[in-house]
Amino acid sequence: MHIIMDVFNWLIAAGPTVLLPVIITIIGLIFGLKITRSFKSGLTLGIGFAGIKLILDFMTTNVGPAAKAMVDRTGVHLTALDVGWGSIAAVTWASPIIAILIFGILLVNIILLILKKTHTLDVDIWNYHHMAIVGVMVYFVTKNIWLGIGSSILMALITFKLADWSQPIVESFFGIPGVSLPTVSALSSLVIAWPLNWLLDRIPFMRNNKFSIKDAQKYLGFFGDSMIMGLIIGMVIGWLAGYDLMKVMQLGVSMSAVLVLIPKMTSLFMEGLMPISDAAQKWSEKRFKGRKLFIGLDAAVVVGNQDVITTALIIIPLTIAMALILPGNSVLPFADLAVVPFRVALVVALTNGNLIKNIIIGLVVTASLLWCGTATAPVLTAIAKSVGIKLGANSLYISSFAATSMIQSFIVYFAFTWHPLISIPVLIIAFAGIWYFFDGIKHVNKNMEMQDAVTD
Amino acid sequence: MPARILVACGNGIATSTVVASKIRSFMEDKGLPVDTTQTKLMEVPGKVEGFDLLVTTGEFDGKTHGVPYVKGMPILTGIGADNTFNEIYKIIKEKEG
Repeated sequence: MHIIMDVFNWLIAAGPTVLLPVIITIIGLIFGLKITRSFKSGLTLGIGFAGIKLILDFMTTNVGPAAKAMVDRTGVHLTALDVGWGSIAAVTWASPIIAILIFGILLVNIILLILKKTHTLDVDIWNYHHMAIVGVMVYFVTKNIWLGIGSSILMALITFKLADWSQPIVESFFGIPGVSLPTVSALSSLVIAWPLNWLLDRIPFMRNNKFSIKDAQKYLGFFGDSMIMGLIIGMVIGWLAGYDLMKVMQLGVSMSAVLVLIPKMTSLFMEGLMPISDAAQKWSEKRFKGRKLFIGLDAAVVVGNQDVITTALIIIPLTIAMALILPGNSVLPFADLAVVPFRVALVVALTNGNLIKNIIIGLVVTASLLWCGTATAPVLTAIAKSVGIKLGANSLYISSFAATSMIQSFIVYFAFTWHPLISIPVLIIAFAGIWYFFDGIKHVNKNMEMQDAVTD
Repeated sequence: MPARILVACGNGIATSTVVASKIRSFMEDKGLPVDTTQTKLMEVPGKVEGFDLLVTTGEFDGKTHGVPYVKGMPILTGIGADNTFNEIYKIIKEKEG
């Protein structure tokens, strides 16, 4: 045991670029991949992490001083730079406890499926990072591994149930049957959208209006283009920082480069994890053969919808404006403006494309992202530093629209770190009540329940 | 020069990586290697021109500027994937003459 701990500590000291290949190779072997295949997967993730680290260093050395100058000059107090979900995912995968969390989440899915308590088969290992980061953060704060694992397990439970409950609106609005979306980055908005939509429906005008905006894409399309977005935001920050024209333009191109390069690095993580996801899929197909299940897919499959894009293109500029005026906010929106479509996709499905409701609910979701992001930026920053990401000499924090900026993850994180003995039971009871409402009273997945009953 | 396929999904990372790499290995097995480029759905209208084929993992009804378009969702779910692969193969085969 002593030797294992020594090896483990040595790996942690070596940093994520060494730890990741080793851990992922082991995970791959457990999933039955050949050693060469799983080692290449692991190495790919290590490379992805090295890439993310490079870009983050580049981003913070460029925008850090500018953001600081902007704060000093204008009094705009935005000190937590949104480095994007990809960077956060990289930090998550680099955690020493990631392997335990991944198997914990997978086990929750399998057990729920066997007990017929969920209909969603989620073997998209990649997207587990949304559930894992909460465990990583709880473990980092409490130093208690069980609280860490527990929080990720609860995240998983909530995620699979939200995926079940939202499946009918996904099917009816986007027209994709048999698919659910256990992607936290999209589901989390429903925590706000369900009650708020119900409330708005009490107002006849809200319920019945049929506003639509034509040509939103024509006039606002550049808000969806990372290259141009990065350039504009970089130049505005430079200008607010009081830079001269040359430095303004340099910062613009640098920030544009960041927004284009981060996804390229992040896709290495996806590529490395693909063989493992494939193996998990094959295994589960065999295990649950003949049973009809919702196939859990990444929410990426629905964000191309025109109503989603229109809503996102309106929300993106409003998000920047809100960051400036929202009291108590210190998140500087940047890299994750690119994934606003994910945050609004299920809102749009829920309201059946009601644009006015989409914008209202979308803005409340945005405010929650900014506030929760502000509240948890210091912890996230400390974790990033602990895995070797340098953030320059500036007292700059990092944040994003992912991790505990999302309301679902924030609530779970808060429950496990505030007064765990009180807040965890309260959260579990509240969730059980919601579970009873959806499955016991409303029977939202009626067809699946009937099928399960027949095969019993 | 190998045919160029633009593969798009919500963020240009997750599902498009899966679909792009499956298309690449399928086409390679068929002896018709292709190049794939990944992008976000929102950037498709500005990027798609000049590609031989567009594949998206989800719903897409923006402009394709005359580039042929195949829905890639079956490759993700595995249901009907063979048809989708064959469709892609046919389009690329015709291009190459």
